Amino acid sequence: MDTIVRIPAPLRSLTGGADEVVASGATVGEIVADLEVKHPGLRDRLLDAKGVRRFINIYVGEEDVRFTGGLETALKAGDQITIVPAIAGG
Amino acid sequence: MTMSARLVLAGSRVLVVGAGGLGCPAALALARSGVGTVGIVDDDLVELPNLHRQILFGEEDVGRPKVEAAAAALIRVVPELRVEPHVARMLPHNAVALASRYDVVVEASDNFPTKFLAADAARLARKAIVHGAAVRWHGTALAVGPNGGPCYRCLFEDLPRENAPNCAEAGVVGPVVGVVAAVQADLAISILRGEPVFGVLFTFDGLSLEARRRSIQGRAACALCGTPRSIQRIEASRYAVTRCDI
Repeated sequence: MDTIVRIPAPLRSLTGGADEVVASGATVGEIVADLEVKHPGLRDRLLDAKGVRRFINIYVGEEDVRFTGGLETALKAGDQITIVPAIAGG
Repeated sequence: MTMSARLVLAGSRVLVVGAGGLGCPAALALARSGVGTVGIVDDDLVELPNLHRQILFGEEDVGRPKVEAAAAALIRVVPELRVEPHVARMLPHNAVALASRYDVVVEASDNFPTKFLAADAARLARKAIVHGAAVRWHGTALAVGPNGGPCYRCLFEDLPRENAPNCAEAGVVGPVVGVVAAVQADLAISILRGEPVFGVLFTFDGLSLEARRRSIQGRAACALCGTPRSIQRIEASRYAVTRCDI
């Protein structure tokens, strides 16, 4: 199943500048794996050995995947994934 | 705004942490909105590359302490404002004392150690805090209540130790920090007026011009507002500068 993933500005250098990309998978983890195939380096920016990096938030719709099963969170048709990283600048 | 609301603001005290791209427009918006006392804490000097986004300063201010130049600029436009300039950094030894003296903290710093320190200090001082951040075209704002979560640590847990997304992405777009700072000032004023603005993460994308509000949840294991709460006091080692500090 294809899902739209919204890429925040700090990570767009890995998606050729695209603010939205499409990835395939039935779970958030599968989506991240497909993202890595299509945009090498992205996985490492999102995950570490324990799962989603502590300064990254991944939302499916309005839900933070930390509260919905993490990388095992199942996706349904029409879901949209948004990545919100911690940033420090001003 | 009603007279009673104006009086509430006139009697209010807001601390702005950082007199940079976020802090300058946030302080100006707070001052013009009628907040009675604005404290500003920063130990930097004005530099020429700051001027495109740090709107309280002009070329004549280059080399001056930022808080001194900011105070002068604010008084010029709002003569009745009380400005409390703190020529210092918010650091572990002074953070709680600084936060304790104000009703709301507007965290407008440009580095992760200060962001987490301000979050912890505001919680320990039982003060509301409004966080803001911007890198290039991406900005965020988050208001946290005086009694905790959902808080900054519920969202981001702890200082990035490696490979934070911002590390290679230094640089800030002036209008983006202006938008985020305006939202921060709006949130601070809303808090002072007793409005329920907590638990929402605001994000802004300056390229697509998309602004979003997203409800966030507290984490039961949060070190700052979970149970048990592991952060009971400020320990300097928690805020050691990482290589991601920009």
